[in-house]
Amino acid sequence: MKISLFKSPELQFSATTFFAKQHKGETCGSNGLPLTPNSIIIFGKAQMLKTLKHPYLCEYLDIIRGKHERTIVVSQFCGKPASEFIGKNQLSISEVKKIAFQLFTALNELHKKRIVHRNLSCENILIQSNGDIKLFNYGSYYMTNNGQLVTFPIMKLAYSAPEVYLSPSKADIASSKVDVWSVGIILIEFIFNKQLWSNLKLGQQIRKILSFYQCGTSIFEKIAREHNCFDIYHNLPQDIKEIVEQCLQINPKNRPSCEEFLQNEMFVEYKNVKCKNPSRVCKPYQIFTLKELYQWWQLTGGDVFLELKKQGLIRSSPPVLSLPCLIMLDGTILGQGRNPATLYDFRIVHMGLDTLYQRFGHIHLNSCYPLLHFKSDIIDMFDPAPYDIKNLPLVIKEKDPEYQFHRIILFRRLLHGYPFTKDMIRKEAKKDIPPLLRGEIWAALLDIKADYKKAYAVIDKETVTTTDRQIEVDIPRCHQYNELLSSTEGHIKLRRILKAWVQKNTQYVYWQGLDSLTAPFLYLNFNDEAKAYHCLSAFVPKYVHKFFLRDNSAVIREYLAKFSQLIAFHDPELANHLHNINFYPELFAIPWFLTVFSHVFPLYKILHVWDNLLLGDSSFPLHVGLSVLTQLRTKLLTAGFNDCILLFSDLPEVDIEKSINYSIDTFKKTPKSITAREHQNEEFTIQSEHDISGVTLDDLNKERSPRISARDTTDLLRTAPESILVIDIRNPVQFSRCCVRGSINIPFSSVSFGESNIENIGQHAQMLKNSQERIVIIVGSTDTDLELFPKFLLNCGISKVCVLHGGFNILTSVTPTVLVSQKFET
Amino acid sequence: MANRSGAAQRPNGTQGKICQFKLVLLGESAVGKSSLVLRFVKGQFHEYQESTIGAAFLTQTVCLDDTTVKFEIWDTAGQERYHSLAPMYYRGAQAAIVVYDITNQDTFGRAKTWVKELQRQASPTIVIALAGNKQDLANKRMVEFEEAQTYADENGLLFMETSAKTALNVNDIFLAIAKKLPKYDQNQGQSGQGQGRRLAEGDQGAKTPGNCCK
Ligand SMILES: Nc1nc2c(ncn2[C@@H]2O[C@H](COP(=O)(O)OP(=O)(O)OP(=O)(O)O)[C@@H](O)[C@H]2O)c(=O)[nH]1
Ligand SMILES: [Mg+2]
Repeated sequence: MKISLFKSPELQFSATTFFAKQHKGETCGSNGLPLTPNSIIIFGKAQMLKTLKHPYLCEYLDIIRGKHERTIVVSQFCGKPASEFIGKNQLSISEVKKIAFQLFTALNELHKKRIVHRNLSCENILIQSNGDIKLFNYGSYYMTNNGQLVTFPIMKLAYSAPEVYLSPSKADIASSKVDVWSVGIILIEFIFNKQLWSNLKLGQQIRKILSFYQCGTSIFEKIAREHNCFDIYHNLPQDIKEIVEQCLQINPKNRPSCEEFLQNEMFVEYKNVKCKNPSRVCKPYQIFTLKELYQWWQLTGGDVFLELKKQGLIRSSPPVLSLPCLIMLDGTILGQGRNPATLYDFRIVHMGLDTLYQRFGHIHLNSCYPLLHFKSDIIDMFDPAPYDIKNLPLVIKEKDPEYQFHRIILFRRLLHGYPFTKDMIRKEAKKDIPPLLRGEIWAALLDIKADYKKAYAVIDKETVTTTDRQIEVDIPRCHQYNELLSSTEGHIKLRRILKAWVQKNTQYVYWQGLDSLTAPFLYLNFNDEAKAYHCLSAFVPKYVHKFFLRDNSAVIREYLAKFSQLIAFHDPELANHLHNINFYPELFAIPWFLTVFSHVFPLYKILHVWDNLLLGDSSFPLHVGLSVLTQLRTKLLTAGFNDCILLFSDLPEVDIEKSINYSIDTFKKTPKSITAREHQNEEFTIQSEHDISGVTLDDLNKERSPRISARDTTDLLRTAPESILVIDIRNPVQFSRCCVRGSINIPFSSVSFGESNIENIGQHAQMLKNSQERIVIIVGSTDTDLELFPKFLLNCGISKVCVLHGGFNILTSVTPTVLVSQKFET
Repeated sequence: MANRSGAAQRPNGTQGKICQFKLVLLGESAVGKSSLVLRFVKGQFHEYQESTIGAAFLTQTVCLDDTTVKFEIWDTAGQERYHSLAPMYYRGAQAAIVVYDITNQDTFGRAKTWVKELQRQASPTIVIALAGNKQDLANKRMVEFEEAQTYADENGLLFMETSAKTALNVNDIFLAIAKKLPKYDQNQGQSGQGQGRRLAEGDQGAKTPGNCCK
């Protein structure tokens, strides 16, 4: 019962494979950069095909690159090729009309997107059990740049329009009218129930088709006579005959477009018919998309390469056989037989879903419809136990088919309810984010509005600007190990997004690094440039506010100063060491924070870091930075200046999950005001008199320990007094008159700061030494030195030291009060 | 020739000197500064070399007769916006390589600006080399060899056309610089980390090593 959900006849897929043309000789483009391999260009171009969803089109699922420029195309495949019917079952005229209608509809859909099929034949029209069609393999010509990236012609001889053979100008090659001709031939085959020119050799077929140029009369009629089908032709209803005649106009200009054909009276009756199975209100197919199924299939062990190998489409041959006899100086290769594998391989490999069915066999139907807003004990009773692998490492969670199944079902429903479900999305994202939906989930976390496409469309992304050269040289250096980002299409899209951003954010300028910052968004939304752009646009004010100002010096330096303080707060030993060897964040951390690590880590790591960043605020990168230092801690502590800086010029492998967990931990343990900055975006923070303000950069650079706000201090006093230790450094008289509840008094003047020995502070030394997890808040007043004391504690290796901003006096205005008078207490 | 591994250890018993020099690479973005350093230090070339943000630091040791020369190399960011960071790196440097791309005239112009700035602001004894990089793309050349040579002669610069890709003249330009640098033994006195420390301290006191990104 449950499995049947997956067992729709439409949920099937297959793979085909071919080789892209290899570059010969010259390996550099005109810009001096290496030429992009054709398989990568194809890879980039083909991404768009994955967005096509139409009842008469098979869905493209995946493009995979193999060795030696191999491209594998994974696509839906269901039903039977029409060629298998021809010669067997004679279709009725109304059936032919229906097919004609569906062909025009499907092609029109493609032509609207500027995709020319070019390869249409009865073999790649799949007939479904209900008689509807689905076009298969319609994107080859498109993804290969009009066939230019492969060595074989993309066409089916008998179905190709005559102009295809005339090596016409480029514009004509890509004309959608060639498809219309093919429809004409296909319709004739259906009407005559006969394959045309089946007994002719290739050359003869071409000659035949070219002979139509001399045919003064109707081509349809000519074909009918040649195939002894004149009677059928003669008795054909006028409307359908007309359609075929128009398709077979020798001059492409005289052939109507698919759109024009669809206006034909004859098709009116098909127009309002729902294309699929209208009897059921809720079709089971609709609860899963083919792409999800494909991902789950892969997670359960499905392997396209393996399937191709099993069925003999990928064969390895001994390398010695592929050695050429002669290579000329210009790179021309001679004496090498043509590898038959580089020809068009028409074979299709069907991929069975049995392992998936088995693995998911036990999943309860209820799991497909998780209740989001309403639950009761009774409902709960009938629910299957949740599939729980929460505590396993992220990599395992991402690879577990069943876990991903549950997560995707849940998130898809939540996303469907966005923006109303925003809070729930946020809550669930804290656990983890399923890779398949990451792009959409990020967009939701970044509050992207529904009408984002229009806003992007109107931005000028073309006008030449002075920034262009820099963008131009940065793009080919931006995450180029990634197939999407290194593809031609990827470069074009990245350029457009960057130009749009620069154009739209006149207060900012393009800094090197902005390319890296954009890369994750483009990678996740490769087929939705507008969304990638808007994610970037929403990300900048939230996490790198003002970082891209023409003069960002104050902003960056404040950020780096905060970083130093955060290190001191959590790791005095490391902070002291780095301080002593003059190893400042300026020297290594600018790319970290300017690009939020997107210039530092490979994409897959960035994704995991940002999964968490998007749930945090602009201080989170500081914590990530700290966690990176922490991982390198032992090395850093024993290294001098040169070795430290060398370590960061060539950053060693960082265990990113460990790093993230550590960052989340320090993020939670750090009061917000510790990392508060003057330059953070007010839009995301509410300021009150009890927050920190008015600290100059010079102050900040002098203070090695951070300040804490009165607000955070009172919050901690009220909610978690055991987690803090308040040290009042005013004189005993002031202290006894009025002090913070639970605070201890270490008068500033009683301590000799000469050497870094914690015993110097007297009776409370032990308490401080044992304060490890407690936040040490130093409270002073205008006449106490607020630098020396924290510096002393820091040098003594006391962690979590901070200074109350505004001093003791600021606390007097807090209500209800957190102060007590010693006189009354004792 | 540059010695890639363990060159810092002097042959047993000989009285070789060890010298350390701070060298900075300057030049327009994408002319191949990082690529030159990568070729010199690791013997590698990455077609898709990442752009440099801020600066990167690497070291390499070469042997010159009886002297071991250790280069502490600062590879800077080329984008004009990072310009204000540059003084932090060339200040106190004993040598500089100013790089341009022979296929791009503008980068040559920028190189001249850098030379001028160094002549005005850097140490008066600084050894400056001019590198016309991407020599392997000579068929797309936009800056003539003679033009650059004349300019270098007029300004007393070392000059070579280099290619990080084919390794042409890469070690040679570093060696030529090493030869031109005054050598005094650093075995006694200064510790191995002296140069870097000098950089960080800068002129403005310990707390403001660089007016970052101004
Ligand atoms: N053909 C050729 N390409 C080179 C050569 N040197 C560098 N490149 C290429 O030029 C591009 C830029 O090189 P980088 O080393 O990143 O340039 P850079 O000067 O460090 O640039 P910034 O870090 O932006 O200042 C890269 O794509 C390199 O592969 C060379 O000698 N020959
Ligand atoms: Mg660089």
